[in-house]
Amino acid sequence: MTDYWLSKLFFDLQHDPQLAGEYRTDMPGVIDRYQIKPELRQALLDDDVATLSPLVNAYLLRFYFQIRGMPEADFIARLHAMKSNAAQTAETARHG
Amino acid sequence: MAELVGIFAASHGPLIAREWETMPRAHRDKLAAAFDEIGHRLKAARPDLLVVVSPDHWVNFFINNLPAVCIGIGDEHDGPPEPFMKKVYPHKVLKGHAAFGLHLLQTALDNDFEPALSHRLRLDHGSCIPLWRAGVPPDLPLVPILVNDLEAPMPSIRRCLAWGRLLRRAVESYPEPLRVAVLGTGGLSHSIGEATMGWIDEKFDQACIKHFQNGEEQALDDFLTQALPQTGNGAHEMRDWVIAHGAAGGTGFELIDYFPSPETLVGAGFASWKLPANRAGSLNQRSRQ
Repeated sequence: MTDYWLSKLFFDLQHDPQLAGEYRTDMPGVIDRYQIKPELRQALLDDDVATLSPLVNAYLLRFYFQIRGMPEADFIARLHAMKSNAAQTAETARHG
Repeated sequence: MAELVGIFAASHGPLIAREWETMPRAHRDKLAAAFDEIGHRLKAARPDLLVVVSPDHWVNFFINNLPAVCIGIGDEHDGPPEPFMKKVYPHKVLKGHAAFGLHLLQTALDNDFEPALSHRLRLDHGSCIPLWRAGVPPDLPLVPILVNDLEAPMPSIRRCLAWGRLLRRAVESYPEPLRVAVLGTGGLSHSIGEATMGWIDEKFDQACIKHFQNGEEQALDDFLTQALPQTGNGAHEMRDWVIAHGAAGGTGFELIDYFPSPETLVGAGFASWKLPANRAGSLNQRSRQ
């Protein structure tokens, strides 16, 4: 399910270097300009890839974490962890 | 009358630009050789303009206004905005070809296609990495066709084949003498920003290549329609290859090279389509009948 305002924040950060600079120094202040749901606000502050991932286009997600300065290897590791967690959850469900 | 003089396709992963100087030399040489071959064949075709079929990586469009297909009909377009492109492809303005762009748009509308139009597009790494690496002269006029390969729902493979045929029809019906080449960019398999990021699906890539080589459009359509949702999201860019394939009449595919490129996170693919010297003429003749 796409979250419009989360996507809009990511899109704007990609297009506006000044906004991206501001985001680096005042994340909460920039987030508050968008209609971001409280749980997503926290996910942004926590760099919570797994929570944000299903809500935005995958390419925008990648751009966003580049702007956040997350090394690509870390970003990939967090994405892969989602897969492992999903597999683990499925396995647990199968065995009750 | 205009004629199609060359049809090509190449991968465009952004790491090709971002990591060009730092990637292992042998791998860079392999990528360079494939792009050079595209450049060599393109140069030999002596095009007057190049139609570049590529996705838009959230540079022109957003989810509040996202065309399935957009044709650039301006006299000029903007060069790539990504910071990593500035050092390798520093062209701020790229030449367009308004007359052919408008003709392509009108041909589309006359044939019940309804693309979006733009008088000035920003051409991101998707268009410009192959232009840079293939050494396409920066003053060669471009007519961009941007295809939504990024955000579902996307144009069907059947429709992309039809777009290719339409593109060929537009070339053949253009009243001025013009040598037109086509470059589809992107693919082959890759996975970006999702749980499988980094996965290169060689099985998909090899099957894909086989289908292009076989030239059976229905089989290609069936294969991609079924396989694309099962592989990495970047493979949706195969739509741009399919448009090139449709423009070639679904035949003549020639693989220049394919190899998994974990260094750039893509299944790196490079191809051209054989256009017999007399074929463009015969197609022109048929369209006049």
